Amino acid sequence: MNHIEKQLSAAPRQQFYIATIAGIIAVLFIWSFTAVNFNDIEQSGLKIARNIVYGLTHPDTALLFNVTKQSVLYLLVETVAIAFLGTVVGAVLAVPLAFLAASNVVPKPVAWITRLLLIAIRTIPALVYGLIFIRVTGPGPFAGVLTVGLTSIGMLAKLYMDAIEELDTRVLESMKSIGCTTFEKIRFGIVPQLLSVFLSVMIYRFDMNMREASILGLVGAGGIGAPLIFAMRSYKWDQVGSILIGLVVLILIIEFVSGKLRSKLVKG
Amino acid sequence: MIAFIEVNKTYPNGTAALQNINLTIEQGEFVAVIGLSGAGKSTLIRCINRMHDITSGKLIVDDVDVSKLKGAHIRKFRRRIGMIFQSFNLVTRATVLSNVLVSFVPELPMWRKWTGMFTKQHKIQALEALDKVGILDKAFMRVDQLSGGQQQRVALARTLAQNPDIILADEPIASLDPVTSRIVMDDFKRINKELNISVIMNIHHVEIALEYADRIIGIRKGEVVFDGATSKVTQAILQDIYGGKWEAEQAAIEEQASYVG
Amino acid sequence: MWDKLFPPKPIALANGKVVLQKRSRVPLIVLILIVCTVASARFTGFSFQVLWKRMHEFFTLFRAMIPPDWGSLADIWQPLLDTIKMSLLGSMIGALLALPVAVAASANIVQSRAIVAVSKTVLSLLRTLPTLVSALIATFVFGLGPMAGTVAIMLFTIAYVGKLLYEQIENVDMGAFEAMESIGMTRIEAFRFAIIPQVLPGYISTSLYCFEGNVRYAAILGYVGAGGIGLLINEGLGWRDYPAVGMIILVLIVTVTIIESVSEHFRRKLI
Repeated sequence: MNHIEKQLSAAPRQQFYIATIAGIIAVLFIWSFTAVNFNDIEQSGLKIARNIVYGLTHPDTALLFNVTKQSVLYLLVETVAIAFLGTVVGAVLAVPLAFLAASNVVPKPVAWITRLLLIAIRTIPALVYGLIFIRVTGPGPFAGVLTVGLTSIGMLAKLYMDAIEELDTRVLESMKSIGCTTFEKIRFGIVPQLLSVFLSVMIYRFDMNMREASILGLVGAGGIGAPLIFAMRSYKWDQVGSILIGLVVLILIIEFVSGKLRSKLVKG
Repeated sequence: MIAFIEVNKTYPNGTAALQNINLTIEQGEFVAVIGLSGAGKSTLIRCINRMHDITSGKLIVDDVDVSKLKGAHIRKFRRRIGMIFQSFNLVTRATVLSNVLVSFVPELPMWRKWTGMFTKQHKIQALEALDKVGILDKAFMRVDQLSGGQQQRVALARTLAQNPDIILADEPIASLDPVTSRIVMDDFKRINKELNISVIMNIHHVEIALEYADRIIGIRKGEVVFDGATSKVTQAILQDIYGGKWEAEQAAIEEQASYVG
Repeated sequence: MWDKLFPPKPIALANGKVVLQKRSRVPLIVLILIVCTVASARFTGFSFQVLWKRMHEFFTLFRAMIPPDWGSLADIWQPLLDTIKMSLLGSMIGALLALPVAVAASANIVQSRAIVAVSKTVLSLLRTLPTLVSALIATFVFGLGPMAGTVAIMLFTIAYVGKLLYEQIENVDMGAFEAMESIGMTRIEAFRFAIIPQVLPGYISTSLYCFEGNVRYAAILGYVGAGGIGLLINEGLGWRDYPAVGMIILVLIVTVTIIESVSEHFRRKLI
């Protein structure tokens, strides 16, 4: 019995640590409640909620399927185009940055500074870039493309960099022994290793960019966002319904296809 | 006492897993159930604590008609029966002690269940159970840091903490190497003799079964083809139980054993 | 299908053996990429000329933000705290609500197929909706202010944490669950003692990670009137008060970095 009680008293004490964490979380929870004012809820809220549900179940089908420049279909294609081109722009710009941030390619200080730059690019919200680019190119999808491109750089370069740092350098050694030039080493030793990873990362980011592109319209940078906010401000809930349905279906399709493509790329 | 009376078990897909089983197992017996994979050994054991339902017949455990139990009564009934699994079925991320403490959960008041705070009394009982299987010093280690044999002994301690009358063991040594197998089997034997707990065990390794069990039950295609004292088992009987595949089965086990060892 | 359209090319070796080489798909992929790029460029009015002529404007704007207007810090403080509170509250409530939804979506725990299918559909629909759009809708229902932002963040958190959590639950080793049932526990008790200990670290880590992302999202929600710092960015740019915008961005970068490193510290500990 004695040795059992001795073992019991040897139990690691975690209660204090757990209690502290729980206390901090509780304080944060209560503190964050002070931001929300429940009196803000307007009486009309419930009515509007009902209207939205009505709009979602009775979408404006004419708006959904006609082929003018205002139709949902056209705007969705525009959104996809923004997301796609933005991804391409971002992917191209990310390549040199990724090499500059890879610690096995450039000296440590250079890599470090590039990484800081990438973090800064990544932290600024897309909407800020959108608002700035509108000053550059004027409102429209072009601004959207540039915005999506710039916001993609951060993540793309980070993931590219990981791939570069994991490069299998034994191949290069064997190629050197065969007598390859630097160009040949890059073309046949490095590019094949990186290409499929880069493509996979690109497809993943494209999937994310669909969401980015669909909100950029809110600041006037093209895509489906602008008509959505107009329809809402004018309480045309059937139009809101058709836009939302179109958007959700499109994003689900793209998510499905990009998942398939990526798993195919991984398997080779 | 466990009594099977004309028990039949048919799976929803039509497979007859058990046919006309008649058995009586007294308190304190050490019974090994042998037979080919898929013969119905696992089903037989799992019917005893109602992890499986029987289709017809009667199954009586200490005057309780098992097939008539419902909901909370089933769970209360299961408290008296421990179960050991081939893959240990422990929460590997948790410590050894908390894996054993789980035994006391059904007895706890609601707030203790949800917070997972156990009484000192329960902790001492759990440590005693660990002491009985000789791994008291591992109490505060995480289960995934232990070897296979030690993990199976944690499972054994978990069952002992339940203070059961019967222990059901489903291939307890199939994932262990030969040396550890014997250590675990010694534990089973000691528990069976010292605490007078009935042990009913499915086992692949016939030699070990013959060495440790008091009684052998041979099952072929859902039917009991042999039931008797270990001393009465002959080569001919084994041939019968394994349907002529006795040598093949034996070779497979040896190959596996040498692979693990 | 590709192999039928373009039959593999036979290569005869000197010793008479024939090896079939599959036609490479790279040219096709490159072609599709080029076509899509050109089409998208025309569709969106992408023009290098405009970019070349006007790009300096972008940097001029950024240069105008430096040095940031330290005096505006006093005005930023309150909206920044609101942003953090919104994302904290939304993440906490969302992560809590994600638990029951994820359990309902786990095919190995819930036996009713209909419940599982419905829960999974709800989660994926919620996840599809961009946070800004749900915030926009929320402003109509809950009025302008942090409440709408909190609801939007909560919805996204439910979807994100819920999906990752049910995937984890479905991949869990069910052996312990079986053992708990054999001890005499109810299914709920068995879930508490067999499944939760296995998924808890992953769940907390996912929630923390989601919270990091939510801080970024919360920063822009103000743009649609859902409270927080986003409104200030819009106002600052509208009035061309670039040093003030620069200050906001600086504060945001610092805040996000701090929150990320704190959360990363705890996530590392969980593994």
